[in-house]
Amino acid sequence: MKYLTDYSNIFTRFDLNIEVARQAARKVSKDELLQRVADAVVKGDDEESAKLTKEALQKKAPMDVINEGLILGMNEVSRLWDEGVYFLPQVILASDAMNAGICLCEEAMGKAMDKKGKVVTHTAEGDIHDIGQVIVNALLNANGFEVINLGADVPVDKVVEACRLNNPVMVTGTALMTTTMTAFPKIASQLKRLGLNIPFVCGGGAVSEEYVTSFELGVWGKEANQASGMAEDALSGDTWQTMRGKWNG
Amino acid sequence: MKFSSEMAYKSADEMMFGTAKKPVKAKRGLVFGGGHVIPEVVPHPRPGSEKTMKSLLREYERANGDALERCVIVGHPQLMIENEHIFQMTHNPKWGGEIAAQTAKQMDDYLQKYGLKAAYRSTIADLRKPDMVNMRDSDYTREVLESFEECAKYADIISIESMGGKEVFDHAIIRNDIAGLLFGQAVLGGIDMEWMWNQIVAIAKKYNCIAGGDTNCAEANTAMFMAGGFLSKDVPHTLAALSRAICASRTIVAYECGATGPTKDCAYEDPIIKSVTGVPISCEGKTSACAHADLCGNVIAAVTDVWSNEAVEYHDMFGGTTTAVFTEILGYDVAAMNAAIDLGYQKEFQACLVNSDKYRGCHGFMLSPDNAWQIGKALVDNNASLYSRGKAAAMKCGELMLGDPKLKLTVFEKESLEGYMKDMKALPAKETDFIDMCLKKYSKVKGFQPKAYGL
Repeated sequence: MKYLTDYSNIFTRFDLNIEVARQAARKVSKDELLQRVADAVVKGDDEESAKLTKEALQKKAPMDVINEGLILGMNEVSRLWDEGVYFLPQVILASDAMNAGICLCEEAMGKAMDKKGKVVTHTAEGDIHDIGQVIVNALLNANGFEVINLGADVPVDKVVEACRLNNPVMVTGTALMTTTMTAFPKIASQLKRLGLNIPFVCGGGAVSEEYVTSFELGVWGKEANQASGMAEDALSGDTWQTMRGKWNG
Repeated sequence: MKFSSEMAYKSADEMMFGTAKKPVKAKRGLVFGGGHVIPEVVPHPRPGSEKTMKSLLREYERANGDALERCVIVGHPQLMIENEHIFQMTHNPKWGGEIAAQTAKQMDDYLQKYGLKAAYRSTIADLRKPDMVNMRDSDYTREVLESFEECAKYADIISIESMGGKEVFDHAIIRNDIAGLLFGQAVLGGIDMEWMWNQIVAIAKKYNCIAGGDTNCAEANTAMFMAGGFLSKDVPHTLAALSRAICASRTIVAYECGATGPTKDCAYEDPIIKSVTGVPISCEGKTSACAHADLCGNVIAAVTDVWSNEAVEYHDMFGGTTTAVFTEILGYDVAAMNAAIDLGYQKEFQACLVNSDKYRGCHGFMLSPDNAWQIGKALVDNNASLYSRGKAAAMKCGELMLGDPKLKLTVFEKESLEGYMKDMKALPAKETDFIDMCLKKYSKVKGFQPKAYGL
């Protein structure tokens, strides 16, 4: 078979044009031991993170290990992700490493760490394609939110009940197919009837902005990695209307 | 089930679009892989139409009917229509059966009235999500098998997009975990496929229906979509390519159990499958842009026997309904390919398709016929187990990507790939040792039940 020697008229590898230079993580903690804890989070090594957290807990208060080690490490990961140096798997592994350490700190404290706020997540009734939701859960968790994870193929009533019980700052819905996303307006209408005007962020394969913004409470989530930013907005008191104005067209 | 031990094609040079070593004949005269390419259109119903069987029947009557009508309007001689079951069609097996019966009648009418040759593929939805039900024993499992029975009575071809191993795959793909991909896709996926496909082939034989094939849409396509295009930072393209190579080890199980093809359109691994089995394959590329983007829109047609658009939701466009419009587009693509065959220009046409995308990205590269063939060869040469052949296919894919300087990789992609190769080299040699390691490593993965795979 004949092959070209020059493909410049056939395709352009834009990824090569925008490639971000590799860079090392920065130092984030003033304390040497807690810097090593942060490094384990940045490397995404959950075993190392647990080991170093145990070591740190012998000398430091649990909340200091969390705030000055684990969370600072996760913040550095967020920076590397925002700058395009890190890909999603590195963020997920870092989140796992951070959580491994937080679990140990919470055991030492005898109570769970205060989370920023609750977010209820689910994949639509009749739909089992939930990897988008898995990513949303991990990113929300990594950013300090408590995730009430309802799983996949969740009936409308169960989502509404979870919102009624947990009073979340935001609820999310994922659907791959147009024939399952029809559950979303039903959820929105029941939430409204209960007086729960919670931003309802919907996304997934066939879920369009046009559809999601056709019902009240709906805010279209174009990509899973927007979830934590949206949750921060909801936490700060933005209404669904304000969020729609910011994140959608 | 016997693992494939030799290649159907002696070299990639022998492989060509339109022709398969083992063509498959359907009633109404279509021959898949019999010398020319056949278009395949895949209508998807609009939201709301799924409310009742009556509304769904009407939706498909129109969507499928518009496709048949457009063939006659523009002169396309052949067509396959696929309906991928939405949840309701498999959850209520009679619904899928009724739609298949209705479509078969429409096709019979068009054959009689106009001489249009058409075939209907019914793709049952795999409702079994491993972390939600026992894959072998649940109400959803029974509904899936019952749907096959109902649809096989009327459809020409039955297929599925099976889900075995997805719980481990989902955990692994977002963690750069190549061992998890091997376990989820090759081992668990392959085990589940053998269990499922022996039953599907038996059902197909019972009703004189064609057992088409399967696809690793739930896993390898998830990886490919997450890798995305040139702006995405979700999953490295090199990892998605390795996932594709691994999945050939499980997708081929359908054919080792007796399925004959035409294979499923969204199985991008089909060029590898064809090189080993010789079955006719259905592929999708640029004309599936209505459903998703990919970086191999032309090269994927290089050895295809059926040319598909993946799925398009039924609604109006300026040029008619979407199913009519895409039938026209697919049919014209196929007319050009068939003209190339009949003029003797197929090698040149194939070269154009390959040069469009071989170096566009990792998927185009590894699915180019020459590389797909080499990956298939690695699979059959290491066929001691699902694991060994999956790993061998991935290693070969990685070696090919690292070894061709015309395939440009970003520093991040190259480092990632080198890391995956190193991780694979460190894995146990024997499947039993690998499974033992994985049963411990993934014991806490949500919903993973070894007994659902007979482990």
